[in-house]
Amino acid sequence: MLKAEGICKRYGNQIVLQQANIELDSEIKALIGINGGGKSTFLKIIAGIVREDQGKVYINGRQVNNLPPEQRKIGYVPQYPALFQHLSAEENVLYGARKNREASQDFYEQVTSILGLTEVLRKRPHELSGGYKSRVSLARALLPQPHILLMDEPLSGMDIIIRKKVLPVFRQVLKKIQIPVLYVTHDPEEAELMADSYAAMNYGEIRLVVSAAEAFEAIQNRHGPL
Amino acid sequence: MSKNIIHAFFLPLFLLLIVLPILALVVNLDKEGIQKTIIDPFFWSSVKNTILAAILAAGLALVVSIGFAYYHLFHKQSLVYKMANLFNDLPIALPHTVAGLALLLAFGRKTMGFLGETGAAFTLFAVIIAMFFVSYALAARALISGVDQMEPEVIDVARTLGDNPVQVYFKVVLPLMGEALFSGFVLAFSRSLSEFAAVIMFGGNLPGRTQVLASYVFTKVEVGDLDMAVTAAVFCVALSCLILSMLIVGRHRYAKS
Ligand SMILES: Nc1ncnc2c1ncn2[C@@H]1O[C@H](COP(=O)(O)OP(=O)(O)OP(=O)(O)O)[C@@H](O)[C@H]1O
Ligand SMILES: [Mg+2]
Repeated sequence: MLKAEGICKRYGNQIVLQQANIELDSEIKALIGINGGGKSTFLKIIAGIVREDQGKVYINGRQVNNLPPEQRKIGYVPQYPALFQHLSAEENVLYGARKNREASQDFYEQVTSILGLTEVLRKRPHELSGGYKSRVSLARALLPQPHILLMDEPLSGMDIIIRKKVLPVFRQVLKKIQIPVLYVTHDPEEAELMADSYAAMNYGEIRLVVSAAEAFEAIQNRHGPL
Repeated sequence: MSKNIIHAFFLPLFLLLIVLPILALVVNLDKEGIQKTIIDPFFWSSVKNTILAAILAAGLALVVSIGFAYYHLFHKQSLVYKMANLFNDLPIALPHTVAGLALLLAFGRKTMGFLGETGAAFTLFAVIIAMFFVSYALAARALISGVDQMEPEVIDVARTLGDNPVQVYFKVVLPLMGEALFSGFVLAFSRSLSEFAAVIMFGGNLPGRTQVLASYVFTKVEVGDLDMAVTAAVFCVALSCLILSMLIVGRHRYAKS
């Protein structure tokens, strides 16, 4: 469970986040916003990578503002697969799971087989196609069994055919392991395919909406802060 | 038009000021000089001292640079980083006689008298320290440009996977910086080979003990054995060519992988 309250962030004079709030239960929530709207910054603040100016972040009821990223138990799939090029796909996937490898063997097999990675585990990142890179990136984030997962437009660089193929697989594995997910995107179709609920982000403010279509209306009709 | 101007000045100046002096060395090579030099044990000990000291100095430069690049990556706001950044390039701008004098005062008889009559000065150790002092900044720059090229997301992900900054640095950043580490080492090594003033002031010019190729050439010119000086000089040119080609081959290899 995730709760973020009153998150504010500015870079110099530019206000990026203005009192942003979000709550997340065991669901996949799409966070929809325009380019440059502060979506990545918001996720990085939740993950502890970027420091907020104001606001509170709770994970499973515990305030984590003062914890570094490595202690927050958050999975993070960035905008680019950002694989460790010097490691094989398998070593990438297992990178965060080193401590309890025995215990997570079943989990490892489950995740890699749903994501269809069994065949490519021996390969190096540069030998993988874009779609497989993002599968590895997701598996890598899941293996330490984080409390919540943040996905930042993980398929933004890929064409529609690959996205249509990969999205259901992503959803399948996330539903199977029942993890709360905040899924950032600016594509309505992608949001519909992926999410259970939707939120629109506009000039650093976030509000809940009932459908991806409504979220798009919300972000397109605004030319200034809500 | 402007292209013609460049044609007109670049090639003549380059040939005159860079290529001609090197050719002058090579054409002045003579058989007698070569024969006298290759049987001179002090020549070979200076070769050995040069290469050994330069390798150790470049290794030390790399170690210190790895530390500096860590601060550059993770602690840009810290006082340590700001101070180090200020001092980093100073040795490059200083006359190397000043560097030598500084080292002599810092590690000489006054402070390190317990080590011997001259402190740490006039030993092979002093040669290494002098070489390090003048070459460290080159290694540091190479590593900084290496860490600046890292994708920040790669580091972010490693953090969320449980690594603290030091762990990320050793497990992800450094393994991906092969090219920067290699060129940092080679640049520091070649700068170390070429150092004369700081080495001679702090390390001395004791044949067989602290004499390096640069000071060997100097001594041979001074005593009038010009033919031996030329032989040693051409040897230096060959050594430099070898190092530069290593650099090119190394970069090429990393570019491919
Ligand atoms: N480190 C930074 N320093 C200064 N400005 C920044 C920094 N990071 C982001 N910004 C600015 O903050 C704003 C929001 O950026 P952010 O990347 O969070 O938006 P986004 O919604 O993820 O955009 P995109 O759709 O392009 O991924 C942008 O205007 C960006 O230029
Ligand atoms: Mg973004």
